[in-house]
Amino acid sequence: MQNRTANSKQTTAGRSQVQPNTTTQQPRAPPQMVQNMARVTDPKHVPKDTRDQFLKKIHFCSQPYDFNDDTKNVKEKQERSQYLQELFDLLKEPNFVNNLVVPHLDLIIEMIEKNIFRPLPILKKTATNGEIGMEDDDQLIDPAWTHLQPVYEYFLQLIVNEQPDVKSLKIFITHSFIQEFLELFDSEEPREREYLKNILHRLYAKLVPRRKMIRKAINDCFYTLIHETYKFNGAAELLDILASIISGFAVPLREEHVIFFKTVIIPLHKVQTCQFYHEQLLRCSMLFLSKDPTLATFLVEGLLRYWPFANSAKEVMFLNELLEVLEVCEISKLEPLIPKLFKRLIKCIAGPHLQVADRAMCFFENDYFLTILKSYKPFTFPLLVPVIAQIADTHWHKVLQESLNALKTILKEIDYQAFDKALNTKDPKYLYIIQDAKNQKKDRQKIEEKWKNLTKQALQKNPNFKEPIVPYSDTHIVGEHNGLNNGNITIL
Amino acid sequence: MSENPFEVFIEDMENEEVYLRVNAMHRVRIICTLIGVENIRSQLIPYFDSLLDKEEDEVLFAMAEELGNIAELMPDQSKLLLNLLEKLVSFDETVVREQAVNSITVVCEYLSDPEIVNIIVPMWLRLAQNEDNFICKISAVSLMSSIYGRAGCQKENMRQEFAELCKEETLMVRRAVASKIGEIAQEMEKTYVIAQLLQVVKELCYNEQDTIRQLCSMSLMNIARVLNSQEIKANILPLIILQAEDKSWKVRMSLAQILADVAQILGQEIADFQLIPIFTNLLKDCQSDVRVEAVKSLLRFIKLISRERVYLIIGNIQQLTEDPIAQVKQNICEVIGQVANLLPKQQSQNQLRKCLFQLMSDENWEVRRNAIKAMGVFAIAIEFEELNKLIPHLKRCMNDPKWRVRKETIQTIIQLALQLKQLDIFIEHLEEVFVLFLRDRAAEVRSIGLSSLCELISVYKQEWALGNLLKKCIEILEKDGGSLFRINALYAIQQICFAIEGPQIETNLWPIVQKYLKDPIPNIRFVSLKVAKSFLKKIGNQNISIQIRQSIYGMFEDPDRDVKFYAQEALQY
Repeated sequence: MQNRTANSKQTTAGRSQVQPNTTTQQPRAPPQMVQNMARVTDPKHVPKDTRDQFLKKIHFCSQPYDFNDDTKNVKEKQERSQYLQELFDLLKEPNFVNNLVVPHLDLIIEMIEKNIFRPLPILKKTATNGEIGMEDDDQLIDPAWTHLQPVYEYFLQLIVNEQPDVKSLKIFITHSFIQEFLELFDSEEPREREYLKNILHRLYAKLVPRRKMIRKAINDCFYTLIHETYKFNGAAELLDILASIISGFAVPLREEHVIFFKTVIIPLHKVQTCQFYHEQLLRCSMLFLSKDPTLATFLVEGLLRYWPFANSAKEVMFLNELLEVLEVCEISKLEPLIPKLFKRLIKCIAGPHLQVADRAMCFFENDYFLTILKSYKPFTFPLLVPVIAQIADTHWHKVLQESLNALKTILKEIDYQAFDKALNTKDPKYLYIIQDAKNQKKDRQKIEEKWKNLTKQALQKNPNFKEPIVPYSDTHIVGEHNGLNNGNITIL
Repeated sequence: MSENPFEVFIEDMENEEVYLRVNAMHRVRIICTLIGVENIRSQLIPYFDSLLDKEEDEVLFAMAEELGNIAELMPDQSKLLLNLLEKLVSFDETVVREQAVNSITVVCEYLSDPEIVNIIVPMWLRLAQNEDNFICKISAVSLMSSIYGRAGCQKENMRQEFAELCKEETLMVRRAVASKIGEIAQEMEKTYVIAQLLQVVKELCYNEQDTIRQLCSMSLMNIARVLNSQEIKANILPLIILQAEDKSWKVRMSLAQILADVAQILGQEIADFQLIPIFTNLLKDCQSDVRVEAVKSLLRFIKLISRERVYLIIGNIQQLTEDPIAQVKQNICEVIGQVANLLPKQQSQNQLRKCLFQLMSDENWEVRRNAIKAMGVFAIAIEFEELNKLIPHLKRCMNDPKWRVRKETIQTIIQLALQLKQLDIFIEHLEEVFVLFLRDRAAEVRSIGLSSLCELISVYKQEWALGNLLKKCIEILEKDGGSLFRINALYAIQQICFAIEGPQIETNLWPIVQKYLKDPIPNIRFVSLKVAKSFLKKIGNQNISIQIRQSIYGMFEDPDRDVKFYAQEALQY
């Protein structure tokens, strides 16, 4: 289970897949220290010089060096790598672990902290905003990584190791340790994030008494992402861990977890960089829904609320997720969401982006969705039919026009009478979506006239009255805000 | 005219499009003016309340903003709005919440002191004590500074509660504290600033989160505003030094950004003796982004310290001119230009001139451009005898492949020439590089050169204009194949004509231009026409005037349509 989550790494954001090479160590002659240890007959008594040597090496590895400059401290760095390798080899011998490593866990953790807890470097990238389809060809690599990797590898093996028990490890894994550890997830180096993920995952599995604290720290991390920074490189990795945590939740879900779903999982959809972790987010969402299907309507509501604007790639993702989530929804619970849902779908279908429109059309190939459509026929038909009927005749793309016509047929087959009736509705509610701007303006004129009158009256009543400025106006391109009327932009 | 205003509002608010609802929301002021306080209370507020659960964030954002404006319309009754605002400040969406916080601050301005104590403070305490929603606590932190000053007998209570907020574990709340504590210090009594806030900020400066430590820089600066220099030295300075040595480059960078402001607040004495070493360290920082920010603050900082201590930074400036990062060098150029004027002439010449020369030949063109720009300022500070050392550099820059560099160069040359005011030195050194503009490939450079001619001729008189300058123009007109350059030379002649008297034009300029009215290239003929037209305005001699008119008349049948048209127009008057 753990291995599965550890290795099923996403490839969406162009991140390379990296697997820690834990088992593929080249066989080599045992280093001197291991040989020394091997000669010790009584494992309970480690000779003093072996212990001193061990401590010396730990101490040496705790020294900071400038890893960004390969020309500095070349000798020390070589020595350090060798020591780290030796320390690593020691972990393979249970006896040594028990008698050397466990008693000096404090120094070892300190050594690890001193190495990995560092201000993250800036690896300059030209493309910072997460547009999909943009491959990061030249993935930038932290020059310090080759020196950090052995420390991570050591840490990982230390946690995997059976010998250090929960009690002795627990002392070091404090709240501030976890917080600093989580901050490292923002690293630009994918291999580092991979190690961090594996280590945190195993820590969570092993340290049962620390689980709640770890979950809270992850929560904080996501709050920061949602409310403050909007970008966090390690979001996908953290969600990976969360996915396996969630699958361990007992049913029925505790209130704490439901709150988490509502305050973290759903708002995570609105973050601009959502594409980077959407796959993982979707998995977490679906896991939650499998534990408690009643949460599905909240998610549908959230998706409709945070629907992307001017980002068609993200829209396609949302459409995929929406359909998947709808399938879990209990039809009777959907009623309040029907108008919003169908309005959104109509906007997608009538919109200028072909892929989005195409994805939205796929909804009608889904049986469960058609059941929803049928169950709310009195609402859905009057909304849907007039628009579909009209764009089926006028759509600019042949393939889509065909499928629109097919949809027309489907709708007719469902209920011919209702179809006819809907087609003849007076003043169809969403027809304006496909109307051109001119017509829309005519409709607005009446009410704008009323506003003008009221403003005049207000001025009469209070000569100091200042007419409010409205943000969206005809003269302003933002006036097209979300109104997808096929490019008929009105500029006076 | 008989519409019910409130109904119009509701009608528009039921529109399908969010942006129209946002517009309607922003117009609610009109409604409020018309329906009066009583109806606001009985109709509008309950309606707003019903929107809270179902509306989009954008509309709620507009609502939060308008509530502040409505308060303005009913100053006596603005407390009616607080219930709504209290709900809005607990909203998830950051912008909505922040806007609501602002509106509460507006409402507070209209409330009496007893109302603050009896209504606002209890509301604040509810927010601060809300254990279910950390967002309420963040809002409480943001509201603290605008309420505390008027909280009267509740101050003690608020301070205690604020102390609790400072201990809050949620990072978001901590960050809110770190960023707002400076503002709060402005409102709190000094004894409590020292007793309570300093302690908090100190702890925050040691927080393991670098984002929190980063926010502290600004807050430290703001707290310093309310302290005297003794207190600053004892409390703030050590923390600033701590920040300057922070292991996270982000913290050092945010300190570098505001260090000039810090210096201003902390005063010259502290700046002179304590901040200079901090600054020089930041200028040497291993992270280039920190250096860039430090260099950007450098000039303001230098102006704040005593002149006699500026020399302490010169070494750093020299070092920065060799920085591997172009952005650092770009920013240091301006500093060098300005600093030169603050130093004794001898010193600036010796130490900084070389640096600037070096930057003028940097491989990054933006560095070159900024360096040459700085040279213009710098050159004022150097002796004119030194000019000959500068000329080769100017010459190279005038041949720079980037036109922006050449543009800056020609401007610098013009600036120098205007200050020099000595014809012999000008001819000896500058003229040679100046006239290069006549044959520059970039129109921008040529036109800058042209537009400077009038002023230059007024300094160096017509002897120069009709001598060396005209000679150069003729040379280009006769020998150069490029029509653009020839056009430019003609325009230069036009400029000369503006600066001199009629008789000289007749004898010196007209004979040249006359030739080019018959040039095979239409554009040349066209420009010659323009020049000839300007001659007409200045020439007094009838004979020549008639001669010019006749030449122009001869072009009435020009094969080129534009030339023909312009020829006719030129003779209109």
